[in-house]
Amino acid sequence: MKSLHRMLAASLALGAASALSAKEELNLFAWSEYIPQGVLDGFKQETGIEVNYETYASNEELLSKLLAGGGAYDLVQPSDYAAEVMIKQKLLAPLDKAQLANLKNLGPQFRHLPHDPADDYTVPYMTGTVGIVVNTAVVKDPIRGFGDVFQPKFKDRIVVLNDNREIVTWALYTLGVSANAISKENIEQARPIVARWIKLIKVFDSDSPKTALLNGDVDLGVVWSGEAAILWKENKKFQYVLAAEGAHQFIDVLAIPVAARHKAAAHQFINYILRPEVSKLISDEFPYTNPNLEARKLLSPEQLANPASYPAGGKLETFHDIGKLAADIDRLMTDLKSGR
Amino acid sequence: MNAPVRAGPPGDGVGEAMEADDTPVPAAAELDRRKPRLLAWLLLAPLLVWLAGFVVAPTAILFVYSFCERDEVGRVVYHFTWDNYRRVFDPIYLHIFWRSILYAGLTTVICVVIGYPVAYFIARAREEWRHKLLLLVMIPFWTSFLIRTYAWITILKQEGLLNGFLQSLALPVAPLDLLYTPTAVVIGLVYAYLPFMILPIYGSAEKLENAVIEAAYDLGAGPLRAFSAVIVPLTMPGIAAGTLLVFVPAIGMFAITDLMGGAKVPMIGNVIQNQFLQARDWPFGAALGVVFMLMFAVTYWIVQRRGAQMA
Amino acid sequence: MPASAARPRVPSGLKLLHWFLSGWTVLVFVFLYVPIAVLVAYSFNASRLNVVWTGFTLDWYRRLWNHAPLLRAAKNSLIIASLTTVLAVVLGTVGAWLLHRYRYRAARGIQTLVAIPMVMPEILMGISLLIFFATVGLGLGFTTVIVGHVTFCFPFVLVAVQARLKGLDPALEEAALDLGATPLRAFWLVIVPCLRPAIVAGALMAFTLSLDELIVTFFTTSAASATLPIRVFGMAKVGLNPMLNALSAIFIVATVAFVFFSDYLKKLNR
Repeated sequence: MKSLHRMLAASLALGAASALSAKEELNLFAWSEYIPQGVLDGFKQETGIEVNYETYASNEELLSKLLAGGGAYDLVQPSDYAAEVMIKQKLLAPLDKAQLANLKNLGPQFRHLPHDPADDYTVPYMTGTVGIVVNTAVVKDPIRGFGDVFQPKFKDRIVVLNDNREIVTWALYTLGVSANAISKENIEQARPIVARWIKLIKVFDSDSPKTALLNGDVDLGVVWSGEAAILWKENKKFQYVLAAEGAHQFIDVLAIPVAARHKAAAHQFINYILRPEVSKLISDEFPYTNPNLEARKLLSPEQLANPASYPAGGKLETFHDIGKLAADIDRLMTDLKSGR
Repeated sequence: MNAPVRAGPPGDGVGEAMEADDTPVPAAAELDRRKPRLLAWLLLAPLLVWLAGFVVAPTAILFVYSFCERDEVGRVVYHFTWDNYRRVFDPIYLHIFWRSILYAGLTTVICVVIGYPVAYFIARAREEWRHKLLLLVMIPFWTSFLIRTYAWITILKQEGLLNGFLQSLALPVAPLDLLYTPTAVVIGLVYAYLPFMILPIYGSAEKLENAVIEAAYDLGAGPLRAFSAVIVPLTMPGIAAGTLLVFVPAIGMFAITDLMGGAKVPMIGNVIQNQFLQARDWPFGAALGVVFMLMFAVTYWIVQRRGAQMA
Repeated sequence: MPASAARPRVPSGLKLLHWFLSGWTVLVFVFLYVPIAVLVAYSFNASRLNVVWTGFTLDWYRRLWNHAPLLRAAKNSLIIASLTTVLAVVLGTVGAWLLHRYRYRAARGIQTLVAIPMVMPEILMGISLLIFFATVGLGLGFTTVIVGHVTFCFPFVLVAVQARLKGLDPALEEAALDLGATPLRAFWLVIVPCLRPAIVAGALMAFTLSLDELIVTFFTTSAASATLPIRVFGMAKVGLNPMLNALSAIFIVATVAFVFFSDYLKKLNR
């Protein structure tokens, strides 16, 4: 009997010990091709935490999978408006700022943003803009805004994002309406403008608009700054400019879902990303706009000179979630595209 | 001979019925053999359970969603409404349904025309070559879809390989502007679905006995007549299968129109996808999907019945 | 004219037909393989952006060899596709046989249900399966992915096998039973061999569909079971890496070589 007790005690102790020494892991659900492998490896080496990296290719996929009940993730990487939706639906856990000492590295213009005014739930990761890219070897005219882009002489030489909300927003910008002041009425006001534009557009592409530009199938377009930055790195003839009428700035953030099981590890990861030398690695791999000002000090002059990575001026706005109006926008665009 | 000659002219009405699946009905005494008893149902059980769990249940979930509403934040609210179905029957969407059907139909027809001779050739090829040829038909599609499509873009773009090739032939033709047009979409669709026409036709045409064809010739038929009166009818199940396996999935296809058509013209697949992604209006997307699937199910049901009535 | 015993007499019209068919088949194969040739060629492209040709390099093959996540995704895809094919073939073949052999009253309904996964848009299937799995508490991973794939693939096998069954002589099974075989043995030893071409066709279709499946997989996968299409799709944002071309090229060359050398090896072994 005594030996049985001893065996039980021993196995309990073993069990407890293995639970304690169980490898911590981090379940990351993020954009694919947005976190360099080097960063993940470095994190693992330093902390011993295994990162399970699951990917998606759009905010909507992230939201759909989460809302349909998928996976228990520790860290997600939504864009600003998606984070706003998640905050409203109480899907995000408040951050413990005590564990995030490196927050001070972020530029003040990236704090207290509309989607999360108190910075309670999100930490900026990378930012970007939506603007105009021009193949200056072919297009000699000065292009400063949407009016310049959508001219009849560029018919069938234009690429735009396949994003209904973006396109309608640009139309509204030309009417002087702010991105978040969308309403049923001004969606209809945008209709004739978009209808005219659609006839001039050759390609709608949100995944890789740079392809059409590199192929020479189009000469100018309205694309993500990341795409334009890659184009500029490839060939300096691709210039980027923010539209004079108004431009959309997006912030991709890191956030911790309410159901996360490894919140401490998640905080560690965020703090790790905020280190200047780690953030530099991200900028090296992906030429997006880095909100970490300490990291920017480590970037090369060529990186900082990229007009798409660090564009000048522009009336920048971030998107809010527009709720049910998204359906109205979708309907308008489907109607217009279908009726060509 | 494992391909019996089709039953003779349509029955004179005396005691001749046809089965739902078109096989000739055996004599009354053997009718009992075909009646499913307990064992037959037990054997079918795995299929039924699978269908119940992974087809019926998910469809039921969608059906429920289609009557719900979405709230401001994008959540599904269990509040009964007919609104979504009313929106489905908006001319915009009906027009898109119709367009998708047209593209799918065109793709299917082209696939039959291009694919049938290939399937026939492989089916009649020497034994050791048959499986090799089949594999060779399929292997291109074991590459990644995106890479494959980008290869097509490289070929079809204005400064692409196709135009380069045509130019090198010094033909007095202007460079073709194929990419991002409906033509490119059809090329892409045919490319993607051709194997799914070739394989089923092969599956049913294989081992079409020489003797049957010889008999046709002996009876005085020329090659054309032998083809149309003997070979085609015998391979008809394969053609029907291929048509089903191409037409049906093709209606819902959207990735090719996006990549090779420049996403200019929405297909029903795009619209439904958008409702779940960009518009985040799941109930409406579900309603579109339910109507779409219902249209298919009803048509398929009717076609099965018609198939039974035809002799 | 008496038919020769050794070789069937071939009318000249038929010979012409044969040449026509061979030529047509060659053209179709050219159509199928031109993009593949381009794809393989670009795997040697020095430019990282898979768009314009800038020079020759073997770099991408080297990088692919070291890129663990991509290789793991490829492995996952192969495992999932293989298991899916096996299950789809079993479900499809047995289902087709039973529906043919017995007159179930619910046959038309079952037939329609079987066809539904083919018509259901992938996003609907993905999201509804995810909701279903979440409701019954089934964790995401290889199992859920394979379930999704099999559901989507087995109708193709079933339809292909059914097409062949339509031309099958009903006397065959009877003959086997008369000779003393149990229905199971009759099925396995007589029917299945006759169905082999259709089963092979169905298996090839199922395998291909599973390899390229993206949307349903996205909603039913975990990090561990991520497949190649999921990794590839996200790469478009930064430019499809020629490593992917290299991966595809290796796969193509390996399978084509296997096709041509497999019976060369068989002959050597005899």
